[in-house]
Amino acid sequence: MIDPQLLVLGLAALSSLFSVIAVYLAIIEKDLVKAVVFSAIQSGLYALLYYILMAPDIVLVYIPVAIGLYPAIILILISKTEKVEKD
Amino acid sequence: MRREFALLSIILFVVSVSLLVSIIAHYIYIPGINIRPLAHIYLNTTYNLVNRNFTANSPEAVTAIVWDYRGLDTVFETTVFYLAIIGSIALGRGLFKFSKSSGETGLSIIVKSVSRITTPMIVTVAVSIALHGHLTPGGGFQGGSTAAVAPLIIIIAFSQYFLIERGISKDLMLVIRSLGLLMIGIVAITAYFIGVFTKTPAFVLQNQAKTVSPVSLPAYLGGQLISGTLWFFNLAEFFAVLAGFTIVILLLVIPERAFKSDVK
Amino acid sequence: MINPVTYFLSLILTALIVNLGLSLYGVFFRPSLIKKIIALTIFSDTANTFAILIGFRRWVDNQPSIPPVIVGDYTSEIIQKEFIKRSVDPLPQALVLTAIVIGLAVTLFLVFLTLQIYRTYGTLDIREIRRLRG
Repeated sequence: MIDPQLLVLGLAALSSLFSVIAVYLAIIEKDLVKAVVFSAIQSGLYALLYYILMAPDIVLVYIPVAIGLYPAIILILISKTEKVEKD
Repeated sequence: MRREFALLSIILFVVSVSLLVSIIAHYIYIPGINIRPLAHIYLNTTYNLVNRNFTANSPEAVTAIVWDYRGLDTVFETTVFYLAIIGSIALGRGLFKFSKSSGETGLSIIVKSVSRITTPMIVTVAVSIALHGHLTPGGGFQGGSTAAVAPLIIIIAFSQYFLIERGISKDLMLVIRSLGLLMIGIVAITAYFIGVFTKTPAFVLQNQAKTVSPVSLPAYLGGQLISGTLWFFNLAEFFAVLAGFTIVILLLVIPERAFKSDVK
Repeated sequence: MINPVTYFLSLILTALIVNLGLSLYGVFFRPSLIKKIIALTIFSDTANTFAILIGFRRWVDNQPSIPPVIVGDYTSEIIQKEFIKRSVDPLPQALVLTAIVIGLAVTLFLVFLTLQIYRTYGTLDIREIRRLRG
């Protein structure tokens, strides 16, 4: 019915479009905790993009590092220093 | 209102510029139909029973490239990671003694019970990813960083004193990391020393036999495929990466009152 | 007139370039040091995605492209020939693996330096630090 290559690549294009939204919201946001959460959402969408581009080794590195360890380390850093970015 | 307007304009910009790019790219394929000749060589020789002198004996091409074809890159990458950890240990010197503040520490009892169940499962999946790195996608670094989520959950849900009272301190993790790196170094020069003792030419980081040197580490052990040095490299890298991340997390959660009389 | 496959691939490419530009704006023009670290990690991840996009391969005769792993009976010749005709490039993935680890090491070091700056100057705003140094 519909070409399966179009469906798969359409999903990749949709996820990269949503990642643009997530990056913009992460850079503009002044509350640093919300910015870290937006950055983790962007990493999740990138992991979906790597899966469709047929790179399973990179997916297995990227998910624990960029969704688990980076936001945890930066959240510990935020709790020790300031929480809101000034104007 | 300004924010939504800016978002909408960025999305429209992306969609329209890509339309323009695709009209121009009608004559050049950005990802092509054929792959490069170098990729042909890698894919052809990663498990080749016909040409025994130029194969890596591992059905997983990416792990074979990381630890066999371009093994020297990985050795230097491990060195760079080690330098970052040494730098952060040096910034944590000269602390004052800090003791546990009284009272209940950690999060609520629901979080504690759930982390008691999920933490062994995380470590099991991580070991499986690391040890099957030469057969399926995975490997040492993937398994090590997945397993490093377990100490993170324990330190956040319980407290760091839960780990320190049971003996898992920064010094023990430093010893484990050094042992892992030592095992990587020994496995890398094994083939060379076998060549020295039997008076045949051999290379550093050699895995299977090549045309100029017949030294080869066994690819099958008791009927199972272990691909020579690849299994040992994955095991050592798992322990090294797990210990390295645990050191960093333990150094970050030291409370601020241990640094207080240190400044000015 | 335009191939939809080419349109989707160029959409991915343009979205990644816009990500690159936004994260560079975040590194240069946002005053907090933590925001700079977040934008720097987004920048390095986008650069790695470019490298993986180069190794991709289109479908040929409605046969999907497969990742660079031999599955099934890996000793048979027929499966090997199919594997070479359909697999994607394994070399960019190996190089990106190294690049992710090195980016992680640099970010860890930057986090510790930021903690030390906070203990010395008491603030993380880059304009105040520039004022306090004089």
